Amino acid sequence: VSIATSPLHVANDLREICGAAHVIEYPAQLGQHKILGAMSAIAVEPASAEEIAAILRVAHEDGLNIVPAGGLTQQQAGNSLNQVDILLHSSRITQVEHYDPGDLTVGVGAGCTVAQLTSMVEADGLFFAGDPPLPGRATIGGMLASGISGPQRHGYGGLRDYCIGIRFVTGDGRKGRGGGRVVKNVAGYDMMKLLIGSWGTLAIITGASFKLFPTPRQTRTFVAEFATAADAIEYRNAVLRSPLSPICLEVVSPEGGAILCGERQSAKAWSIYLRAAGSDSVLTRYRRELGSTILREMEDRAEQDVWRAIRDFPQTIRETHPDALLLSLYLPLTDVLPTLQNLESLGASNGAKFAAIGRIGVGHLLVGLWPTGSQTSVAAIASTLRDRLLGSASLNVLHCPDEMRSQFTEWRKTPTHLESMRAVKRALDPKDILNRGRFIF
Amino acid sequence: MGLPEVIGDLCKIVGRDAVLDRPEDLMLYEYDAGVRRSTPGVVVFPQTTQHVSGIMQLASAAAIPIVARGAGTGLSGGAISPNGGIVIAFSRMNRILEVDAENRCAVVQPGVVNLQLSEHVSHLGLYFAPDPSSQKACTIGGNVAENSGGPHTLLHGVTVNHVTGVEVVLPSGEIVQFGGKAAESYGYDLTGFFVGSEGTIGIATAITVKLLRKPEMVATLLAIFESVDDAARTVSAITAEGITPAALEMFDGWTLRTVEAFCHAGYPLDAGAVLLIELEGLREAVEEQSIAASDVCLRQKAREVRRAKIEEERTLLWKGRKMAFAALGRLSPSYYTQDGVVPRSKIPGVLEHISQVAQRYALTIGNIFHAGDGNLHPLILFDMRDAEQFRCVLAASRDIMQYCIDVGGSITGEHGVGLEKRDLMPLLFTDEDLDVMTSLRNAFNGAGVLNPEKMLPAPRMCREISGPSSNAVLAQEGM
Repeated sequence: VSIATSPLHVANDLREICGAAHVIEYPAQLGQHKILGAMSAIAVEPASAEEIAAILRVAHEDGLNIVPAGGLTQQQAGNSLNQVDILLHSSRITQVEHYDPGDLTVGVGAGCTVAQLTSMVEADGLFFAGDPPLPGRATIGGMLASGISGPQRHGYGGLRDYCIGIRFVTGDGRKGRGGGRVVKNVAGYDMMKLLIGSWGTLAIITGASFKLFPTPRQTRTFVAEFATAADAIEYRNAVLRSPLSPICLEVVSPEGGAILCGERQSAKAWSIYLRAAGSDSVLTRYRRELGSTILREMEDRAEQDVWRAIRDFPQTIRETHPDALLLSLYLPLTDVLPTLQNLESLGASNGAKFAAIGRIGVGHLLVGLWPTGSQTSVAAIASTLRDRLLGSASLNVLHCPDEMRSQFTEWRKTPTHLESMRAVKRALDPKDILNRGRFIF
Repeated sequence: MGLPEVIGDLCKIVGRDAVLDRPEDLMLYEYDAGVRRSTPGVVVFPQTTQHVSGIMQLASAAAIPIVARGAGTGLSGGAISPNGGIVIAFSRMNRILEVDAENRCAVVQPGVVNLQLSEHVSHLGLYFAPDPSSQKACTIGGNVAENSGGPHTLLHGVTVNHVTGVEVVLPSGEIVQFGGKAAESYGYDLTGFFVGSEGTIGIATAITVKLLRKPEMVATLLAIFESVDDAARTVSAITAEGITPAALEMFDGWTLRTVEAFCHAGYPLDAGAVLLIELEGLREAVEEQSIAASDVCLRQKAREVRRAKIEEERTLLWKGRKMAFAALGRLSPSYYTQDGVVPRSKIPGVLEHISQVAQRYALTIGNIFHAGDGNLHPLILFDMRDAEQFRCVLAASRDIMQYCIDVGGSITGEHGVGLEKRDLMPLLFTDEDLDVMTSLRNAFNGAGVLNPEKMLPAPRMCREISGPSSNAVLAQEGM
């Protein structure tokens, strides 16, 4: 582990900006914040966008590497960081910026946890659609920066669809904004889109506003099982062709099912979990349309438990399989089945197992891949999988065992023009001080 | 290189019959559906992406402004060229390149007319959701540039929510791809950033759009109220009830009577205001929500709630909505449509304010708008030949926009900032906010050749152009 050393004056500057109580500079205390193999020399907890801007101006001046941090649930994603000079926590930026239940909108500071936001609006019968893993720890800023959504992505859209405003500080210390507080707004460049999924490499998000939804009064989950991935995908296609509009539509591979249930013995079947919302007559209609393939139905506590397990799968697999590589894939709908079949054949012929779950109605898969023998190269399997992705399919590594990390960059894939992305990076973070090395370039 | 040489070179790229430079031809391209005018130096009609690339290289080399234009239905001046600039018109790049029903998407050229795409895929049970009132004429390229909306954006979102990929020609002439058919992708979401960038960072030559499955059932209700205030209060009451209409439109009484006289849609002539409410989805859900929405309206003092019984009745109700601006336009030589947004709970207040503004400036202002998402379209009648009255119109507009901002809203919900509202941007954004946006524009369009004088306020444009451009850096690095 390398420990960064920052110029002496930096600690003084940070203390002046945030107060001594909010600057931590003892490596022993930072042990828990080891990120991608690097340990920070200083951690800082600013209380406002102004303080963040002041910190970034100092860092920009000296070319110091900054890693923005929220709940630290996604910090293992991306390439190795060569060096972390300052770990910047959003933990004190948690204010509610605006909230009027009648408008179905809310704005909060980046350090507010997803669970805090969710419970605040639930009290008014409203519903926040963002559902990243570990909502009790995951923050609004971290969720946006990593662009991570959960099973509700199917019915409510992605963060890009319901984040209506964003506040941030650029790498060169400028405070900026995009969007606003209203659900429909096209004034100025869409900064929300640019920052969602930018992994903290363009700016530090300080706050955001969202569209909210009415909480469904009743939901039910229907579960179907299939012998093969092909059968499961055929069923997905039938659902997508039907008039049904489920709020979640998730595939779970046999090993994925075992992880969700906490079982050692892997199940044999592929499952589809479909969650519907509506009155009794609407749910009866779902039951009729879905037909005899449905094995069981879940409601209330059991239903909530299964969706929580699906949501937290990316975290659970790190505990059940510490040697697993965790991939996130975005695929056109027709590429989902070939990708799952590639995984099956590559795993079988190379001595690896995989657990896949995902939003198959929108083409988002999460795949954990782990070795069954000492000779297995999971990295090689992932590389082959990546090479077989076509067109606009893309892949990112959310978690990787330390020993595999050196081969990281080769595995990622994006359909978007790299030089244009670099131009955006230079415009907002000209000295490349934000999360240097983590992203695609 | 001067304009005559550029015109000669344009003819070499696209052929003489695809270049217009006679004054009588150029006059047709000096305006859009808004109130500003300016005459381009030349209009060129590319047919291929390669043509667009060649034209861009030429414009960049000659440092002549270049402005993309679809059907010219925009209301913010986005497609208006500075005097002597190049207008690149997309009416000959109007092919649907691919329909991929299995992936629920289509790839189209920018000149494809919005409604034509939905008609083209209708037999597959699919459609393209953004539905601006001008959808019979406006192009998808223009929708992408302005991030256009329409009545049904309440449920389905604006254009950006339906675009997953764009092929873009950069000012250098380079042809690049952002995103594709996948719903999202790893890497910066430059697709999302591009949509609504008003032609200031590149020109789209192929657009990948999502297609939605047509709903099983649609119910259209007309709720009739004695007063604007009652109708306005009903809007947030409907969402508070957990009902999510696909569209929720409002007309005030004066507008209603004018529209009815024009297109006989069957609107009541003596109402204070009406709400046009549309619900879509599964039959069972639509039936329940229709009853629930009706009940809310009646509780909020609606005189009557009618439901379109057959498709013809529904079409007629929507025809009235989509023809409204044309109907109002008959009443006076000119009209000016605004595009403010307020949080929906502030609709009663903003309508009261608009009526005060109308009195203060002695103007006639009609209100017909997307009430469900708080997107107002106050329509001001005036006579362009009366300079003093036009000055009042602009002052009244600014007054209404300021009110929208003061209650937490925005200056544009779907028309774009364009030429029209760029000077209002400082009311909404700080200098530093605008500075960040300017640095992004310069990252792609540092020389300011692409659609200058749009979106970002004027002084900034001059200051930034004189500074070092980051585009030069891109060029060095082989972009």
